[in-house]
Order: sequence, then C-alpha cells, then structure tokens
Amino acid sequence: MTEFINVGKRIPKSDAQEKVTGKAIYIQDLKIPGMLWGKILYSHHPHARILNIDTSEAEKLPGVKAVLTGYNIPTIKFGFYKDNTPLKSNKVCSYRDEVAAVAAIDPDIAEEAINLIKVEYELLPPVFDPEEAMKEGAPLIHEDHLGGKEKKPTNILNIPWKLVAGDVEEGRKNSDYVAENRFKVTWVTHCCMGTSGCIAQFDPRDNLTIYSNTQIPSLAQRDFTEALSAMGLQGKKVRLIKATIGGAFGSKLDTYPYEYIAILLAHRTRKPVKIIFSREEEFFATSPRQAAIIDIAQGCKKDGTLTFRDVRMVLDNGAYTSWGATTPSVMMMPISSLYKVPHVRYVAKCVYTNNTYSQAFRGYGNPQATFAIESQIDSLAEMAGIDPLDFRLRNANTPGEVTPQRFKVGTCGLRECIDAVAQRLDWRQNRGKRDGRGVGMASLIHVGGGARVYKSDGCGTIIKVDDFGTVNVITGATDMGQGADTVIAQIVAEELGVRIQDVVVTHTDTDICPWDVGAHASRTTFVAGNSAKMAAKKVKEQLLEVASRSLGEVPENLEIRDRMVFSKIDPEKKSPLGKVLRAAHYTTGGKMVMAEYFYDPPNENLDKEFKGNLSVTYAYGTHGVEVEVDKTTGQVNILKYIAAHDVGRAVNPMLLEGQVYGGAAMGIGYALMEQLVLNNGKVINPDFRDYKILTASDIPTIEAITIETDDPFGPFGAKGIGEPGLVPTAPAIANAIYDAIGVRIKDLPITPEKILAALKGKDSK
Amino acid sequence: MKKFDYLKPQSLEEVLSLLNQFGTKAKLIGGGTDAIVMQRQNKISPDLFISLRGIPGLDHIEGNGLLKIGAMVTHRAIEQSPLIRERFPLLSEASGLLGSVQIRNVATLGGNLCTASPSAETAPPLLVYEAEVHLISQKGERRIPLESFFLGPGETALEQKEVLKEILLQPPPPNSRGAYLKLGRRKAMDLAVVNVAVLLTLNPKTGICERARIALGAVAPTPIRVREAENIIEGNQLNDELIRKAGEMAKHTCSPISDIRASSEYRREMVGVLVEKAIRQSLT
Repeated sequence: MTEFINVGKRIPKSDAQEKVTGKAIYIQDLKIPGMLWGKILYSHHPHARILNIDTSEAEKLPGVKAVLTGYNIPTIKFGFYKDNTPLKSNKVCSYRDEVAAVAAIDPDIAEEAINLIKVEYELLPPVFDPEEAMKEGAPLIHEDHLGGKEKKPTNILNIPWKLVAGDVEEGRKNSDYVAENRFKVTWVTHCCMGTSGCIAQFDPRDNLTIYSNTQIPSLAQRDFTEALSAMGLQGKKVRLIKATIGGAFGSKLDTYPYEYIAILLAHRTRKPVKIIFSREEEFFATSPRQAAIIDIAQGCKKDGTLTFRDVRMVLDNGAYTSWGATTPSVMMMPISSLYKVPHVRYVAKCVYTNNTYSQAFRGYGNPQATFAIESQIDSLAEMAGIDPLDFRLRNANTPGEVTPQRFKVGTCGLRECIDAVAQRLDWRQNRGKRDGRGVGMASLIHVGGGARVYKSDGCGTIIKVDDFGTVNVITGATDMGQGADTVIAQIVAEELGVRIQDVVVTHTDTDICPWDVGAHASRTTFVAGNSAKMAAKKVKEQLLEVASRSLGEVPENLEIRDRMVFSKIDPEKKSPLGKVLRAAHYTTGGKMVMAEYFYDPPNENLDKEFKGNLSVTYAYGTHGVEVEVDKTTGQVNILKYIAAHDVGRAVNPMLLEGQVYGGAAMGIGYALMEQLVLNNGKVINPDFRDYKILTASDIPTIEAITIETDDPFGPFGAKGIGEPGLVPTAPAIANAIYDAIGVRIKDLPITPEKILAALKGKDSK
Repeated sequence: MKKFDYLKPQSLEEVLSLLNQFGTKAKLIGGGTDAIVMQRQNKISPDLFISLRGIPGLDHIEGNGLLKIGAMVTHRAIEQSPLIRERFPLLSEASGLLGSVQIRNVATLGGNLCTASPSAETAPPLLVYEAEVHLISQKGERRIPLESFFLGPGETALEQKEVLKEILLQPPPPNSRGAYLKLGRRKAMDLAVVNVAVLLTLNPKTGICERARIALGAVAPTPIRVREAENIIEGNQLNDELIRKAGEMAKHTCSPISDIRASSEYRREMVGVLVEKAIRQSLT
C-alpha cells in the first residue's frame, strides 16, 4: 500500500491537551448572562392517570420564574414515532415521564420548587414484560395507539420488521443439524462521562439558539424547528451550537423531552435556560440499549456449511419510541450477512411496556443479534463435531459476494481476522480442554462505508485557505470524543500537502457548518473523511492554478509538499505556499482559495423488503478471548483479549486502537456485568456503585490487530471502526466460558451467579 | 440535598460540647465519603455537620503492645502503615481494598465503623483481631468490644452525644496467621458481596489449631463472628473434612439477604467457599 505523510500516523487527538488539563468546555461549563436553571419533576408511578397537578406552592417560591406542566404548554409531538411529548398530560406511562418543570434563578431553588409540586394520580395496571404486553387484554400503554389489520388498540408498534430471503423451511429440510435457542439481552446504558444537558435561548425576534451536545446537529435543528412551529413560531430559525461532547455512543442520536422543556422554559421566561442532568437522571431518564428476547434457529450440513438462519425477536420498546425501535434494521445485517447463509428469515416486534424507552447504543442492535448468532454458531459446530474455528472459516464471507440482503461485499478481511485471532490464541493448542480455562471467538459484520438510513447519507465540507496557508475546514461532522477532528485534519493535510498543524477543523455551529446526517453508523471517517478529501482536492486544484501563474508552470506539473509548491520537472521552480496565496490575493481581481463539497455515498436505502446495499463497504472483525472460570465462585477472569478488525486503512492507528479498546471494554461490561436493573419499571441502580462498569483494573490487556484491506471507496482506503469494537465481544466471551467449563449462558450479563447455577444444573443432570 | 451548616471545632472537648448543644440535629462527619452521599440521597438530613478533621488526638497509629488507631486515621494511612502491615496484616489488606485511592485518602476508619454497613471493609479483620472501640462523651469514657458496637445496618452502640475516639487492637497470640478475602463483582471500587476474615493460632509443634477467629461481612444485619464455625476447628488438627465442616457451619450460621448485588442463596454459598478458602490460605 502507498505510504503517506499524514495518513497512517499516530497523531494525538487535536483536543487532547484541552481535555487532560480540564480546559475543554463542556455543556456543564457553559454559562450565559441572565441564565436560569431548569429542573424536571418525574412521575412517581409506572402507569397512572394524572388527576391534578398543584403547582401553586412552587410558583410562590422566591426565585422561581416559571412552572410548566403538560396543561399549560402547546402540543409538541416528537420522536421517531411521534408518540412523545415534553411534559405529560392525562397520564404517565413510565417512571421517567416528565410531569412538570421549573425555571429558577439557581439550581437549588429549582429543585426545591420541584419538591413543592403536588401531583394526584389514579394508578393504572402496569405491564413490564413485552410478551405479556402483546397479549389480548394487557394494559394499554397508549390507548389511542391502533394496529393490526383490524386497527384495534395494541401495544405492538406498527413497524413490521420482516426480512425474508430464500426459503428457511427448505433450508431446514436440507440441514443435518439444527440448533434452536432462546437468548435474552437486557438494558445497558451508555455511561457517558458528560451527562446530558442543554441551554436554550431566544433572541428578541423569537429565533432559538440551543447549546447542546447532540450527535445529530442537522437533524436536531430540524426537530427543534418543528417544535417552534408547534409553538406558533413558524418561520423562526434554530441555531445549534455544540459544546465539547463528553461521550455519546448513540445516546445523543435523538432529541429528548428535556431539550424541549428547556426551549419551552426559555420561551416562557424570555431568558436563557439551562438543564443539566445529574448522574442519577443520566441513569434513569436517558434511553438505554433495549432488552430483547431472541428466538433463533440455525442449521448446517454435515460438513458445517450453513443452511439457514431463522430469527424472531421481541423488543421491549418502553413507553415511548426513539430510534431504538429501528435497531432491527441493523440487526438484519448480521442475521442476513454474517457468514454465508442461503436462507434467512427475520421477524421482530417492538412492544410498548411501562419500562424506560430505549435508544441507539454503539452497534445499533448489532451486538444483541451477534450475541445470539455467534453463541449459537458454537453450539451448531459442536453438534456437527467441527472445531468452531473451522466452522467459521468454512462459512466466512468473501470479497465479491452478494448477501441475501443484497449487500455487495467489496473488500473483506474476515478470514484474515479469524486466522489472526486463532494464531494469537494458540487456538488448536488451547481449545477443548474443559479444565476451567477456555478460548472462544466471535466475528462481526458492520456497515463500514456509511449507512443510508435517512434520505441522505451525506456530509458537507467547506475549506478556505488564508494568506499564510492556514487551512480552515468547516465540516458537518461531529467530534464526540472519537477523534473526528483529528482524522479529518490528517486527511485534508495529506490531500493538500500541508502540515497537520496548518489545519483547523470547525464543527460546532449549524449557522456555519454544512449539513450532515449525524455521527452514527461508524460513518464519520468514511463519509466526512471522503467529503473533506474531495473538498481538499478542489482546493488543491485552485492552489495549483494560482501557483501555476506565479511559477510559470502548468498545474499538472506542480505539487505541494510540506507547505511548498514546486515543479516536478524543474526543481528550481518553487515557492512557499503562503507566498503563492498572497500573490493570488493581493492582485487586481484577487482570489481567495476556498471550496466546498457535499459527499453522499453511493449506497442504497433498504427497499420495502428491507433489502439493498445499505453501505458502500462493510467492516469485518473477529474477537478472541481466553478466560479462566472459578468454578467455586463463578467468577470469570479474562486472561487474553485479541481484537482483529478489517479497517480498510488505519488513518490514525492510535485513535483506531482507542476505538477498539473502548469498544471491547464496553463489550466486556455488556458481557459480564453491566445491567440497568428495572424493578417494576423503576431503575434501582442509578449510580456507579451498583451499575457496574469496568474499572481500569478490570480491563484486560486488549491486543488490537489491524487488517488493512485498502478499500477503494474509503478515504485513503479507510472503513468505519466506531462501533465494531463491541459487536462480537459478548459471544466471544460466552464461547470461551463454554470452552472452559461446558456451560452456556444465554442471557446477559453472564454473572457469577448464573454461571454457578448453570454448573449446578449440569452436575445434577 | 437538604442544606446544612458545617462546623469545624478545634478540640475533642469542643466537639462534645457541640454535640450536647445540638443533639439530634447534628451529625459527626469524618472523611465525608459516606455522610455526604447519604445526605445527597436524603437518607440522613442533619441541620449541622460537626467535622472531626484536624482535631488533635484522633489521627494516631501508635503502641508497642496494644495498638491504638485514632478514629480519623484514613484507610490510606492504615494501608501504608508498616506497623499495621506487620502486626495486623488483614486490616492493612482490607483497608487497601476499600474504594479507590482517592476515597481511601479521605475515608476514615472511624467513619467506616460508624456507618456500620454490613459489608464494612475493615470490620471482619477487626473482629478477628478482637478489636475494642474507645468511646467518649461529656459523661465519661468507655471501652467496648467492636462486636457489641454493631447493632444493625447503620446502627451502632454509639450514643447520640458520644464520639468514637480510637480503635484498640491487642496483638494476637504468637503463631497466628490469617487471611482476608473479599468477593466483589469487579477488581476495584466495589462493595463486598461477601467478605471473610480468618485468623488461626497454630501450635508449631503439634499443628493443632489452638484458637480460631472467623468473621463475615455482608451476610447478616451486621458484620459477625461465627463462633459455631470457630468451635469446629479450635483444638483440632485441621484436615479437609474439618475445613469443609467449618465452611458449612459458617454458611448456615449467617443470614444474608437478596439485594441488587447478589441473591441470598449465592451469598450463603460463597460464605462456605470463602471460609474454606481463607482457612486453607491461613495454613499455607
């Protein structure tokens, strides 16, 4: 592969110094003169009718500037399914339902005022189990929600996720072995270091500025514009400014009640209003990865060739609908396209319950589906008497393949990933001993070249170059800690022939930055990177054009390297870039160098059958784990962790490894200890004491192996890597545990208690 | 969080007089790693916190025979004290497992005991060392065994106007060896699901276990000694059978609850496992 000057280098994050010295400005740090503090009163019940809300005492409290309830605000409907409102009137459907909100001159007064609000409820029967909620006669979460052919009230959402390719019954008939299992996954939450928050401010003409830490500036701007219309402020503008984002992981892919509440409070008080979540609110009032029940069957021939995959899922949607209800669109990807499977069927139902409502979380459904698929692959391999390594190699995807969902596989390093893991784990040597130590592996497919889930999958870039050669890149992309700014700067520096420190990336303001669909689907390096590269190419053409005039050489013969323009033919003809730029600027009919590019990848929306080439290219990977299980306590100790990823090309190997480490650490948490525990709808562990994430001491050494397949569509060959790092983690660990002690845990997290119970069950058999 | 006043007296006498003056409205605060969290969660709501920080005579680790540890000594100081590491290694070890370094830098031994959590990190080691606590009030001073200090979750024998001044440790008999085991869900920053301390005194000639002390945490309303299990091994040459029996006995003597951290069944099971393991470790 070609060697580059800036691309492929371990360059520290551009904002690293700000972050480690505490100088980065997060939403928590932002203050605006005259700002008020908003606070939210949540429901005391999982399901109840609101009979009366008495806010009189709160209104009387000195320092309180406004008290809002669902009864004194305009109707604003939002969310993917338009079933959510900022403040609830009539009834509450979960503990996190917002019932009232206060704006006050300081946070303590706001909190005191909240406690003075009296709400009378009439309790309604709740339902917390999605399978119960689907039954006839179950309590209805939204009485006016109709579904099915007869348009009857139902808790089942009208989103019929169904993918059929080939004929699974035929596939089943042709199978020598069939495995059928039920897997369960539960709620886990993002645990962003920075909690959610925003500041809303209106100008005297009713235009809104909102300071936010969203991952989707353009779509959020659109949501808030709609809200202004609902408030009677048609035609007013929304400007969204991002603070430094303290982690997102999918949690900030939507707009939430608290943001609309801040907007309503700001409009009511005519003052800027800030709402910041406490850590406890961050746990119970933001949306986790959803709980799901997964019934899966897969079959294979005697030689291990996969014959079919048939998956049914019930997803606990919670009481309202965020993008979590669309995760089946991504679950389809591994179900249809991880390994070669001729016959595939997938049916999923999203069901309203009185639980917290779910959202996207790194992997967007893929980790849940992959847990079931890859755990069962091991079971199937065992039935067929084949080493799971050989089983995977036999069925591995290959370049040029078109999958049942009509994904066009371009570059594909899956085999290389599997081989790398097997080699690093000394697989043949260590597998199958059942002596308390074991090895396991699992693979992944994910979108690696954008994902057309919206009408556009595009991102715009504007580049301007000043008189001294400083390159300002104004991108639609969002840096939420992953290092997008740094990677974009590297790509632009490489394309233009300038140094990375000459490139300044701006991404924070919708009044300045071009449109982008959002930092999701591991798409930023690929889409924003391509966009930046193309814009830089246009800028370079202009630079060479103006340089050709001052150097007397045709542009085709000119090159820029390390801030110098020179002729490839006549080395005597050269000039510093700044000089060329100034000459072009300070002349009659002067010219400033700037260009824009909007890159929308050539991928396809899924059609009505949920088929189509969703991504320009696909990312692959395999994780391998060696574990030791203490049979007396059920505790799992990870001895070795190998993460091999086909990344196309590592634009910045250091940041890429960071993504893999972070993903794997989150994945290990998902596998072994993380769980948002809901007891009758109430989150009972809204703190880091009892919501267990890994500490630094718990994270094993993760060995990241980079397989570079140099994708022809990627910027300098790169594919996405944001999400893949946690997709195969849980099944790799589950498979290693099985290899160690012969018990298979099919519901997450795999706690010591579950392992011990399973061991006892095995002994008594 | 309810608002509160904060007083920082200069002497123990002043503390006692403030306690006398404010009664139930006041609460003592050491490092604050428990008290402030509880205040935030509205589990306690005093009008006034009286700080013990900086008060002379509460932050010592001293004594040749009888070791005295001031109530305001931090877990970090205990963890790093060569004296404690050498003479009371189980306490040293347990202190080093509490929370994080940042927490250990402020959290005090007295605070850990007065919070009286059933899973208190330092309690099982102190119980096997048969620690005593020295309490003081305007009425006078008293010394009671730590075992009778714990009355229930969050409840101690400390009277309203009384202060825990120091913790007293008699050196264990010669030829004593022990082990402290903590079972948590992760390797740091975790509360014990079960914690166990064992201290055995073995006759070097006969190998007979002359004295056994076994204490458990997180499996009863308070940290407990399990004499029933101690009795099984005391006076005996230890073998697999006896060790298993002691574990079994401990398992049946405790009374764990189910909570978010573990089920009562799992806790009980783990008591057996950990007691056995701790006895074996003490022997090696």
